[in-house]
Amino acid sequence: MIELFYEAGTLVATGSSTLPEPFVWDGRTRQWRAPASAYRETVLGLRDAGVPHEDRAAAFEKVPLESRVAMEPRPYQREALGAWKQEGLRGVVVLPTGAGKTAVAVRAMERVGRSTLVVVPTLALLKQWYSVLQDAFGGMVEVGLLGGGYHEITPLTVTTYDSAYIHAERYGDRFAFVVYDEVHHLPAPKNAIIPRMLLAPYSLGLTATPERPDGGHELLPDLAGKIVYRRAPEDLAGTYLAPFELVRIPIELTAHERFDYAQAEAVYRDFLVKHRLPMRSPEDWQRFIMVASTSHSGGREALLAARRRREIREGAMRKGVTLETLLRRHWDDRVIVFAKSVEEVYALSRRFLIPGVTYETPARERKEILDRFREGRYRAIIASDVLNEGVDVPDAGVAVILAGSASRREYVQRLGRILRPREGKRAILYELVTTQTGEEHTARRRREAFA
Amino acid sequence: MLRSEHVMARLQRGRLVPHRLSPGDDRVLSVAAELCDLYAANVGSPRANLERELASSEGELGPGLDARRGFRIVRALSKLLEERAGWGVPTGSDPYTLRTRIFELAAALPEPPASERGLLEAPTREDVLSQVAVETGVENPEATMYADRQGAQLLAEFDRPSPETLVRRYNVAQIQGVLYSARDLVVDLAEGSDARLVFHYVKLLGLIYELEPVSGGYRLRLDGPLSIFGATRKYGLRLAQFLPGLLLTSPWKLSANVDWKNRDAVLELDSEKTGLESHYLGPRAEREAGDVREAFVRAWDRAKDTGDWKLRRGAEILPFPEKKTALVPDFTLLNTATGEIVQLEILGFWSERNLVERVALLREAEGRGHRLLVAASERLGTSQEALSSAVDGGIVPFKERLPARAVLSALA
Repeated sequence: MIELFYEAGTLVATGSSTLPEPFVWDGRTRQWRAPASAYRETVLGLRDAGVPHEDRAAAFEKVPLESRVAMEPRPYQREALGAWKQEGLRGVVVLPTGAGKTAVAVRAMERVGRSTLVVVPTLALLKQWYSVLQDAFGGMVEVGLLGGGYHEITPLTVTTYDSAYIHAERYGDRFAFVVYDEVHHLPAPKNAIIPRMLLAPYSLGLTATPERPDGGHELLPDLAGKIVYRRAPEDLAGTYLAPFELVRIPIELTAHERFDYAQAEAVYRDFLVKHRLPMRSPEDWQRFIMVASTSHSGGREALLAARRRREIREGAMRKGVTLETLLRRHWDDRVIVFAKSVEEVYALSRRFLIPGVTYETPARERKEILDRFREGRYRAIIASDVLNEGVDVPDAGVAVILAGSASRREYVQRLGRILRPREGKRAILYELVTTQTGEEHTARRRREAFA
Repeated sequence: MLRSEHVMARLQRGRLVPHRLSPGDDRVLSVAAELCDLYAANVGSPRANLERELASSEGELGPGLDARRGFRIVRALSKLLEERAGWGVPTGSDPYTLRTRIFELAAALPEPPASERGLLEAPTREDVLSQVAVETGVENPEATMYADRQGAQLLAEFDRPSPETLVRRYNVAQIQGVLYSARDLVVDLAEGSDARLVFHYVKLLGLIYELEPVSGGYRLRLDGPLSIFGATRKYGLRLAQFLPGLLLTSPWKLSANVDWKNRDAVLELDSEKTGLESHYLGPRAEREAGDVREAFVRAWDRAKDTGDWKLRRGAEILPFPEKKTALVPDFTLLNTATGEIVQLEILGFWSERNLVERVALLREAEGRGHRLLVAASERLGTSQEALSSAVDGGIVPFKERLPARAVLSALA
């Protein structure tokens, strides 16, 4: 009789002299071994062939999950779920930000009804999923967290890709279902090993933008399942996503800032010219950092100048004043302000006495701030990158980007924050761009990406 | 341990040369000493303060060490010092309650709190803050509202190392940093090295080994469960943690396959040439067992009659691959009349689990035709009950010292 065991991210079989692929004979420990991800096909294979076997690997359990939050699924959510079921409860669903991917996942969890692991890219999303799952299933099951200082494993656990990379081999037998939020992170070389360590026969990947510049999306079918359903923002705009208005406000540097900026700019440009470094893409920037941090001379100065240049651009005095004006104009409209750095968030929070949300904010306080913002008890909040990538802030009428990078993904997803459907709402997105600096170019590239 | 951005190594014809500082160089030592001073002087001040001073010191101290990488060296040294720091909370009042009240009051205003008092006499930022000050008795709410942030934490304690210790730690940490990207590790353990210690760390870190006898010792190949499906860097961190364990013994040679910035590279070390020192204390069991073993050798030498049995230091490793461990006997007993060989292991500090494992290994060894004795001290364990049931399984118990006759009667 064949017995299956789970062992540190792998599936070990005993009681048979040969086993089919992907099992290999591991001479190091004298066992047949396969990646844990082979569990589904192995068990189905043994079952179909009528081979007697004992499954000592799976440690997951049935969990009766029924959401307490009553919500009629939108038609496309229902379709997405149907397509995913059709493919054997495995696959990737692509929906634009703001279209309610989380709701699809909650439905899928109800359908599977077994121990579930949710993997997310950031601590902010970890906290966000915690509060969604707590709202939906809190009465039935304890929601666990792994990562960001939490280490509580329950039949419904949320973790980050980083923590899963480290710990999946310890808990990979406990979950029947795994949800990968922002699944475009999964094909990264480091993350790609996570699914291999999990037995989970069922999986669901969620994203608005599955494509990766490195071509890694071609690995997705193997890692999380193929794309079973896909809708673009255009498909849903108008009907399900609120229309919005984009307002760009140019900010001129003060004379003093201009002088500082020119100095820093000169040092930085000199270095680029000297080392013949182009600066057209995020990869070029990575390359600059690498060259400068290993350069024989002037590298550190170039790095400092680049940082200074950025600081001036992002921290321009007039930006602060303009923000004050915007807050006054939209004091009744629920404003969310995006700052680039954590320090800037706290400085502005002190200055305008409105709550700041960053990755440092503890899970409970974060939920409280966002709940109060939702209820209208707080009129505005300031956030750093923490609210990127699908972190849910419903009903923000106005968003202000103080400074962002040219990354297309970031821009589209930030836009998504205010594209939450709400009756009669016309969202406004302000972008404060410093003139005569690189930011102008950045902003143009962003809008082109969206057009 | 360093963060990846602190790790520096040169690639020379496929071989990696991790960055190292000379512990005898006065310039290096004075930079190390200054950083220690900086930490020590900041005990009682907020973290943000320390970080600011460290940032400016990297510009001042760095170039003197190395024109281009000096600032990274300084950052790496401060990271290692941070591991010796303890942090405390700065204030008695609760910043969370304070700021929540500030935000509530501000949000209740009909328009955003004005930064300056104007002609219209709209409520100002100052008004909100002073109202909170009155309500809570906190003198300066603005300064305290985010006092629970990491940067506001106070450096409560700092375990100051000598500059030499810091530099030695740096040199090991750089090699560990290279090992983060290692896919496997091969160690040639030469005669005289403590294989038991090595296997202690192999097991502790959940690594998988392959053991092969080679001339003059053993070759140990280390990686992890998933490595068999293709090389992975997943176990690099554990291989890095293994290194200081290995440094507790010698002689050995080490070679690791490293995925260095997407290029194949090799890291090689020779215990006789590294001049490296471990910062691990070593397993407690080993420290305790050393004395017991020496005492046993003396007792054996003094014993009047040991029959035909001769005692030798153990030089063998009995691998138990299925159990992912190996047994390293302390002594080999040879019967000169019959030629029979018995291995003897003396346990240091043991737990109930150790004993259960040992009893299983005894059985397994017997099945393979090895004869093995395991002796455990009543004093160095936690549970007398566990010991007495282990005795039924073949473990030889003793009190303070293991007497020769206890072994001889077990041999009989």
